[in-house]
Order: sequence, then structure tokens, then C-alpha cells
Amino acid sequence: MNAPDNHLERRARELYREAARQLDPATAARLRAARRAAVSGADGSSLAQRLLQLLLPAGAFAAIAFAALMLSSPVQGPTGGTGAGLSPVTEADGELPPDAAAADPALYQNLDFYGWLAKNGDSQASR
Amino acid sequence: MESQHARSGEADDDAMNSAVSTLDTELLAEDVRAVPVSMDAFLAQVERRAFRMAELNLGHREDALDAVQDAMLRLVKHYSDKPPQEWTPLFWGILRRRIVDLQRRRKVRSIVVGWLGGRDEDGEDLPAWEPADMGPGPLERLHDSQSYADMAAAVKLLPQRQREAFMLRVLEGLDVAETAQAMGCSEGSVKTHLSRALQRLRDQLEDWR
Repeated sequence: MNAPDNHLERRARELYREAARQLDPATAARLRAARRAAVSGADGSSLAQRLLQLLLPAGAFAAIAFAALMLSSPVQGPTGGTGAGLSPVTEADGELPPDAAAADPALYQNLDFYGWLAKNGDSQASR
Repeated sequence: MESQHARSGEADDDAMNSAVSTLDTELLAEDVRAVPVSMDAFLAQVERRAFRMAELNLGHREDALDAVQDAMLRLVKHYSDKPPQEWTPLFWGILRRRIVDLQRRRKVRSIVVGWLGGRDEDGEDLPAWEPADMGPGPLERLHDSQSYADMAAAVKLLPQRQREAFMLRVLEGLDVAETAQAMGCSEGSVKTHLSRALQRLRDQLEDWR
């Protein structure tokens, strides 16, 4: 069998290429804009990726360092103890009256004794 | 008998494909496909033809522009690091899939419009609310506009895979391997689809002889 005439293929390709060449200016401009957006978008995203690659390890290192610092030096109370037994109210503000619920009940029961002790102590000191 | 028929069919396919190869060789002599120096240069080289191909498939300027733009973005985003020699089949493959996606989406819209009681202009093309394509027609500035319109109409009648094989292999000039890669099928399938497409087109474009 002879090879078929390739006139159709040739003509079709010529018409297709001619149609592409003769594209109207508005469409050609939109295609150019789309291409530039695609290429510049990729540049922007690769820059962002590079920044992310740099910042991510730095951020992770900072977080680990902060956590290590917190573990190695826990917050200490003003007296040097751990401060675990102190209520937050008494730590925060010493001007406020003691919380009845948190205070030792024996303090109220022996209030007269403590008053006498304070008075005697002052008079002994003045002597 | 069947084997004789199959052998003659294969011989026809080979003959048709060898004719396209001859055409490639002749056209390559005048239009050598150089390796692009950059992604921008590659896209500048193919963007207008890509638009025409999308337009031939979709029949709508805005959809064609969307398809090309999306294909460009995806190529740049995902395949910039590939060697430039691979960009051609990758790009046409992405565009082909994008075109198929848009066609499917349009079909779904048409079905929904049908359910809602609307009617398309010509059966399954644009839904009723689709804005009219007011831009300059694809053929207005074309010297041989009638021939191009005839070809476009004939190509549109081809089944999807035959149309893809014809466009990529004959119109765009990809070789069999590149066409197979872009279509996601074997080289043998490309040859079969192309042979059938050419037979149909020869029947439909009798005037071209």
C-alpha cells in the first residue's frame, strides 16, 4: 500500500500555526500577562520557600532553647523556696487582709496570746 | 481472515503514521524546535498555539484562556526543576487534562441547567446563563478563515482521544513518545487513535483533496 497523501496533515498544521500567529492583540496581551504572572508567581513562591527553609530551623531552635531555659531555671519565690505553699493572693498583694479560708485557724483561736506576746516583746525591747 | 484484516489495519496505521513522520521531518527542517533557554521563553513560544488548541477543544475564548493560564501556572509551579527537554510533553499533558476538566465541568453545568428547565444553544454546549463571547472571533484575522473553520468543525466531531492524538501529533508536531506521554497512554494507542482520526478527517474534508 502506498503512503497516503499528507496534504491534509500539512494543510491542517499550516492553518493551525497561522491561526496562532494571527491571534488578536487583546488575546495575545492576556496570554502574555498570564505567562508573566505564572513565572513571577513561581519566583515569589520559591523566595517564600527559601525564607521558610531558613526561618523554620531558626524558629525551632529558639523554641527548644526557650524550653530548655525554662526547665533548667524554674521560677523561685521571694524567700528562696519553691513557693509552692504560698497562695497566689498573698504573693501578689501583701496589703490585702489575709484570706480567712487560707489562714491557719489556730491564729484566730490564740489571738489574745499573740497580742500579749507582742506587747511584752515591745516593752522588753524598750528596757 | 481476521488476522489478515488486523494485519492490513496495522499496515494502514503504519502508513498513516509514516506520512505524519515525513511531514515532521519536512517541517522540522524549516522550524527546528530549539531547547528553550528559560521557562519564560518556552511559554512564550507555545502560548498562542496552546490557546488555539484549547479553543478548538472548548469552543470558547474565555475558557481557553483559563485553561492555558492554569496549565502555565501548574507547569511553572511543579515542573520548573525538570530538564527543559521535558517541558513540551509535560505542558501539553497538563493542558490536555485541564481541557478535559473544563469539558466535564461544563457538561455537569449543562445537566443541571437541563434539570432546572433551561436549554443550551446547541444541545450540550454552553449553558443558558453563559455570557456571550464578545471578543474578536478566532477567525476574523485569519487569512484562510474558511478552511480553518472547516478543519475546526471536523476536528470537533472527532472522539476525544482521536482529537487529542491528531492535535498533539499532527498540529503540534509532538513525536509519538511525547504524544503518548501527554495523553497518558501507550505509543501503540497513539498510532491507532491518530490513524482513525486521519481517516475520519479525510472523509469529512473531501474538499481539501
